[in-house]
Amino acid sequence: MGRRKKIVQECERLMDEPENIRNIAIAAHVDHGKTTLTDNLLAGAGMISQDTAGQQLAMDTEEDEQERGITIDAANVSMTHEYEGNNHLINLIDTPGHVDFGGDVTRAMRAVDGALVVVDAVEGAMPQTETVLRQALREGVKPTLFINKVDRLISELQEGPQEMQERLLSVIHDVNELIRGMTEEMETVEDWTVSVEGGTVGFGSALYKWGVSMPSMQRTGMDFGDIIELERADKRQELHERTPLSDVVLDMVCEHFPNPLDAQPRRIPRIWRGDDTSDIAESMRLVDEDGDVVLMVTDIGIDPHAGEIAAGRVFSGTLEKGQELYVSGTAGKNRVQSVGIYMGGEREEVEHVPAGNIAAVTGLKDAIAGSTVSSVEMTPFESIEHISEPVITKSVEAKNMDDLPKLIQTLQQVAKEDPTIQVEINEETGEHLISGQGELHLEVIGQRIERNQGIPIHTGEPIVVYREAPTGSSDTVEGVSPNRHNKFYISVEPLSEGIVEAIQHGEASMDMPELERREALQEAGMDKDPSQNVETIHGTNILIDDTKGIQHLNETMELVVEGLEEALDDGPLAAEPVQGALVRLHDARLHEDTIHRGPAQVIPAVREAVHRSLIDAEVRLLEPIQDVRIDVPSEHMGAASGEIQGRRGRVDDMYQEGDLMVIEGIAPVGEMIGFSSDIRSATEGRASWNTENAGFRIMADNLQREKIMEIRERKGMKLELPASIDYF
Amino acid sequence: MLTFIGLGLYDERSITVEGREALRAADRAFAEFYTSHLVGASVADLEAYHGVDVEVRDRAGIERNPGPILDAAEDTDVAFLTAGDTMISTTHVDLRLRAEERDIETRLIHGVTAQSAASGLSGLQNYRFGKAVTLPFPYAHGGDDVPESVVDSVEANREHGLHTLVYLDIKADRGEYMTADVAAGMLADGWRDALAVAVARAGSPDPVVAADRLSALADRAFGDPLHLLVIPGDLHHVEADALRELGGAPEALLDAS
Ligand SMILES: Nc1nc2c(ncn2[C@@H]2O[C@H](COP(=O)(O)OP(=O)(O)O)[C@@H](O)[C@H]2O)c(=O)[nH]1
Ligand SMILES: [Mg+2]
Repeated sequence: MGRRKKIVQECERLMDEPENIRNIAIAAHVDHGKTTLTDNLLAGAGMISQDTAGQQLAMDTEEDEQERGITIDAANVSMTHEYEGNNHLINLIDTPGHVDFGGDVTRAMRAVDGALVVVDAVEGAMPQTETVLRQALREGVKPTLFINKVDRLISELQEGPQEMQERLLSVIHDVNELIRGMTEEMETVEDWTVSVEGGTVGFGSALYKWGVSMPSMQRTGMDFGDIIELERADKRQELHERTPLSDVVLDMVCEHFPNPLDAQPRRIPRIWRGDDTSDIAESMRLVDEDGDVVLMVTDIGIDPHAGEIAAGRVFSGTLEKGQELYVSGTAGKNRVQSVGIYMGGEREEVEHVPAGNIAAVTGLKDAIAGSTVSSVEMTPFESIEHISEPVITKSVEAKNMDDLPKLIQTLQQVAKEDPTIQVEINEETGEHLISGQGELHLEVIGQRIERNQGIPIHTGEPIVVYREAPTGSSDTVEGVSPNRHNKFYISVEPLSEGIVEAIQHGEASMDMPELERREALQEAGMDKDPSQNVETIHGTNILIDDTKGIQHLNETMELVVEGLEEALDDGPLAAEPVQGALVRLHDARLHEDTIHRGPAQVIPAVREAVHRSLIDAEVRLLEPIQDVRIDVPSEHMGAASGEIQGRRGRVDDMYQEGDLMVIEGIAPVGEMIGFSSDIRSATEGRASWNTENAGFRIMADNLQREKIMEIRERKGMKLELPASIDYF
Repeated sequence: MLTFIGLGLYDERSITVEGREALRAADRAFAEFYTSHLVGASVADLEAYHGVDVEVRDRAGIERNPGPILDAAEDTDVAFLTAGDTMISTTHVDLRLRAEERDIETRLIHGVTAQSAASGLSGLQNYRFGKAVTLPFPYAHGGDDVPESVVDSVEANREHGLHTLVYLDIKADRGEYMTADVAAGMLADGWRDALAVAVARAGSPDPVVAADRLSALADRAFGDPLHLLVIPGDLHHVEADALRELGGAPEALLDAS
């Protein structure tokens, strides 16, 4: 029997022992060493050869990732590790570090119970460390810390034991501040801060494959003095052999991360909003392999042979070939064609995958990243919450006519794999639109289409996604159907920020039972009456049905909602999405016969009423903004802050950190296009920088009209606004 | 002058003589066929037979943008045509009111409508009909398969012993016409054994009238469109005779009072 086969068999055996399973993710700021560390762990566990670890980058499976040296798709691997006489199965999900891929990170976190936070000893905790940590904690995932690149402190910075200790403690302190701040309000979490004495912090070098922790020092007798000596003497191989990184980290994983039996009872109420007294809730809490099947899909990948592969966490039951499973949000069932696990990034088919594991499934053709797949119909997992919505769009066109159908198929696939991507297919013009998290995000997708699918494409200039929002309250406005037999009376007012946030964070959604939604909305600040009459939530907008006893309205409501959604998807100013609107339906007059109050009548009447209400509520254009942080030597500080200010941005803070100046501020996304090359030339390439999407902000009144017209022109709309828009 | 002319039930010859004369005398003729149309004649047949050009308008061209029709009617004679009668079921009274608002003279020339054919062919007396309903295609409305308002109306009519005329959905632009068997199938979910009358191709040379249980009608075929359905209430003895003789109703269902 081959070695690989043996490992697969061992994995299969361990899958049935939830107490020996750990599902984990590695979370880090870009370039802090996540990929290098992962390869080390795999090599240490015997999954790939020792020699190539550190160069092989097994998890950067896409060509473009290896080229860019950053990890883009969350890939999955499983390995085994013996700890205290028991063999353990460790399922690891790699997560992207770049903020442009934030959606992937959240999804990965949902599937795991522990997050190994990797921080570069030299750079310390960075903005994306904070972002990924927040994503982990929000999903109820327990953190531990690995401080990487300690070799650089010794060899490059020539630090002595004292300096080194101070620096490491300050990294630990910073990370703990973040953890404390974020877990304060979480009732179900005891103290999750990390500490050296507690064994929840490790140090080392992923590049040179050595590591230490308090327990490892006790076991091997190696202390910092020994390490500094060997590292200085360039005896890294010896260091690796005496205190191998993978043992230190994997021991920490086995000891400090919860197994599914510990984690699921705590996490299920946090990430699933269904009835907690139901059988399915019970069987998810208990990790019951004989219960109904529940799979939460976190990722869709493509295999050249097997086609689409859905990866995700099995929370209950046992997945097997041939099962007919429901896919949330779609009608009918899908048939499981095969089930498997990941081995060093490759898929291995197995007979079955029980609760508590990460599975790879084929045949779930309707599933997308984020779907709940189950053997009984059930409340889906909380709609996966995206920290940032798409802010930038590009047009994509096939260079060759022959590629047209293939391009459409590929784009649809892309949207399925990555829900933070939105795709709009236009079969008539062939000019499709693709929206995502940032310039880089779209660039990467474009290159994948060209390279992996072999479809030469033209992409347009990046286009910023705007929003429209009411800034005041409207009077009640009448909308009349084309046949004049139906009338709708509607008003609009702004939703409070608290309510918008509750919707964005998935705390109030149409997926949850009515009572819970009502409570969540009231908690966020909505009055009792409207919270009881919520008819629908669309984007961050809410429709309240304030009517009483209108005959036939119930069978017309679906069309009212359709009209509302059309009106909100294409706002009245520039056909950009509307956000933060509370829409009230006060009254309606309806024709006796269904045919005369059909879609052709109701939808335009409602759409018109909503648009006119929005205008009466002084709807304004909002632009996306980004937090910007630049680290730069002080002599380039002026040039660097000028790059923010010159982009309608604002510098909020400048301070010294080590030998660098840090500039923090905000700037509109639209003005940030091309920033990376500009800042490089302005600072002779000495600046490192980071941006994070920070929501939408109302544009100044003197910019409104110009920007609206620019968008309308681009979209081929009339270059004329209704006369009633006279407020900016 | 704007003259509303009903074209009647079936083909280019179903129009009244008065309507024909008014149509031929008009300077321009507009028509809409989005809610119903003449099964036995195309627009070209109409034009050839009457020697006029007919300008067909879609829904938006009538409801949202009636300007051109009204403009033309300001100073010329304009005929506005629909199948059946221009004011029954899909009522164009709105267009007439808009014309009146602009001081355009209007006139109405009636056409034979499905309502009269349903009563006439089945022998069910027009005095004894309650509220009429339209049974829409399930995709065309916001409710379940049979809208609650349809169910409510039929129930209310039956309670009062009244007949219900059920118009069947027409999506002329998609070439879709609900047939009586499909409609009977949908309604049989609620009233399996209720007596109903299918009326097919009213106004044509070969109309069909069939009276049976809804569940039985659901399994039959009645040929080309257009179809209608009537759900009778209590039967007068002459109505019962008519359904037996003209519609082949099974004796067991004819419990006349
Ligand atoms: N000196 C040193 N370099 C490291 C260490 N770990 C990773 N690197 C280097 O840092 C860079 C980024 O590493 P990578 O694993 O791709 O980071 P990721 O973006 O977090 O996946 C690569 O050039 C690595 O060789 C380490 O422990 N010491
Ligand atoms: Mg990487």
